[in-house]
Amino acid sequence: MNLLLIAFDAEDAVTCAAFGQASNHSFDILQLTGSPATHLGAGKVISLDLPSLPPADYFAAALKLIAEPYDRVAAVSSMRGKDALPRLAGLLDWPMISDITEIVDEKTFVRPILAGSILTKVQLNHPKAFLTFRPAGFPAPNLGGESQVESVNPEWIGSSKRLSESLSEGGRPDLATAKVVVSGGRPLKDAETFEKIVGGLADALGGAVGATRAAVDSGIAANELQVGQTGKIVAPDLYIAAGISGSTQHMAGIKDSKIIVAINTDGDAPIFDIADYGLVADLFDALPELTQKLQK
Amino acid sequence: MVKEKNPAVILMGKQATDNDNNQTAQMLAAQLDWPQATFASKIEFTDDKANVTRETDTGEEVLAIPLPCVITTDLRLNEPRFIPLPGIIKARSKPLTKLERQTTDQPRVEVLTYTAPATRSAGKKVATVDELIAELKSKGALA
Repeated sequence: MNLLLIAFDAEDAVTCAAFGQASNHSFDILQLTGSPATHLGAGKVISLDLPSLPPADYFAAALKLIAEPYDRVAAVSSMRGKDALPRLAGLLDWPMISDITEIVDEKTFVRPILAGSILTKVQLNHPKAFLTFRPAGFPAPNLGGESQVESVNPEWIGSSKRLSESLSEGGRPDLATAKVVVSGGRPLKDAETFEKIVGGLADALGGAVGATRAAVDSGIAANELQVGQTGKIVAPDLYIAAGISGSTQHMAGIKDSKIIVAINTDGDAPIFDIADYGLVADLFDALPELTQKLQK
Repeated sequence: MVKEKNPAVILMGKQATDNDNNQTAQMLAAQLDWPQATFASKIEFTDDKANVTRETDTGEEVLAIPLPCVITTDLRLNEPRFIPLPGIIKARSKPLTKLERQTTDQPRVEVLTYTAPATRSAGKKVATVDELIAELKSKGALA
C-alpha cells in the first residue's frame, strides 16, 4: 500500500507525517507551499512551491494525476482539506473517509459521527481512498533522515477567481494544534473585551484563542475561532473555558483535551460535568487574576 | 436529476448532522465539472457568476465563480424567516415529488461497529484562582 499525504504548508507537513508514521507504511508528502519539509521521514517530498493555495477546482484538476498512482491519499481535516479533498475524490471516483481519529489497519479506521457522541469503525471495500484525519489522534512524528525533493509543475485549470482573502494575523499558535487553548462565550460582551480578557490569558500561556458559536454569531469573536461540531476540533493539553455553559456541539469539539478547566458563574452549567477543574467565579475577576499571576 | 432540472446553482448544506462527512457537494461539483464554493457565509449573484464569501481556516475569502456552480452553506449564511402557521398548512398541500434512490451492490465504505466514546466525568471544584494554579502545576499543565 502506498500513501500520499497532502500538506498545504510546512507546518501541515509535520501533522501529516504524524499520520504517515501511525499508518506503519512508508509515505510521500506533497507540499503545496513553503520550503519542503525534508526531515520528517517521508520517502520523498513532492514540492509545488506555490505562492498561495489555489481554489478547489484548480487544486483538484491539477493534483488528479499526482494522486492517481497512490492507494491512499490523506490530508488534515481542516477547512481547506474538507474543501479540496472530496472534490479530488469525486474527480477520481474514489470513496472517501472523513475525520479519522484512529488507524486500525490499512482498510479499517475509526471516525466519530453525530458530533462525536458515537465512534464508528469503518471498513473500506475499494482498493483506493481519500482520507482526512484529525491531528489530535496522532502524536508528534519522529524526525527522520533527509527526504529527496521532487519538483512538479502541474497544469492549473479552473474557473474560480479569488477576489480577496484574510490571512491569519499570526503571533498566536494554530487553534487546531495548539498545546493550550483559552475559549470564551457570549458573556464576554464585545470584541474588545473578548480580546483583552480571553486573548490576554491566552498570550500569558502562549496559547490559542477559541470561542463558542454564540460568541461568534453575536460578533464578539471571529468566525475562524469557533470551536465545536461545525467549527474547529481541538485537543490541547490544557483547555480553559470561560463563560461557556457547554452545549453538546461545543463539547464535541473539546472533549479530547487532556485537561479541561471551566470558569463560570453558574455552578450547574453542563461544562462542569466534563471539566477536570471547575471554578465557580465571575470570569471578569478570575481571568485577569489568572493572567496576572501567570505573567509573574 | 441535475441534467433534468438544469439548474444554475445547486445549494447544499455543508455536512449531514448524522455522519458529519462533509463530502457530497464537493464530489457532485467534481463529477459535474462545475466550480464550487464551500462554507458560504454570504452569496451575491450577478448575471453569470456568484460572488461567495466563504469561511476558511484563517478567516474569510471571496471567490467569484461562474454559473452553473455548487455552493455549500455555513452557519451564518442566513437567519431563517419566521413562518406563520397558515403558511405551514398551505405548504402541506404543495405537490411533493418522491424519487427512488439508486443503490449500488455493496457500499464502498461500510460501518462495522458503533461504540460509545470514553466519557469524561466531572472533576474537582476549586474555590480560588490560587488553588486552580496549584492544581494545574501539580499536573504539569503549567510551568
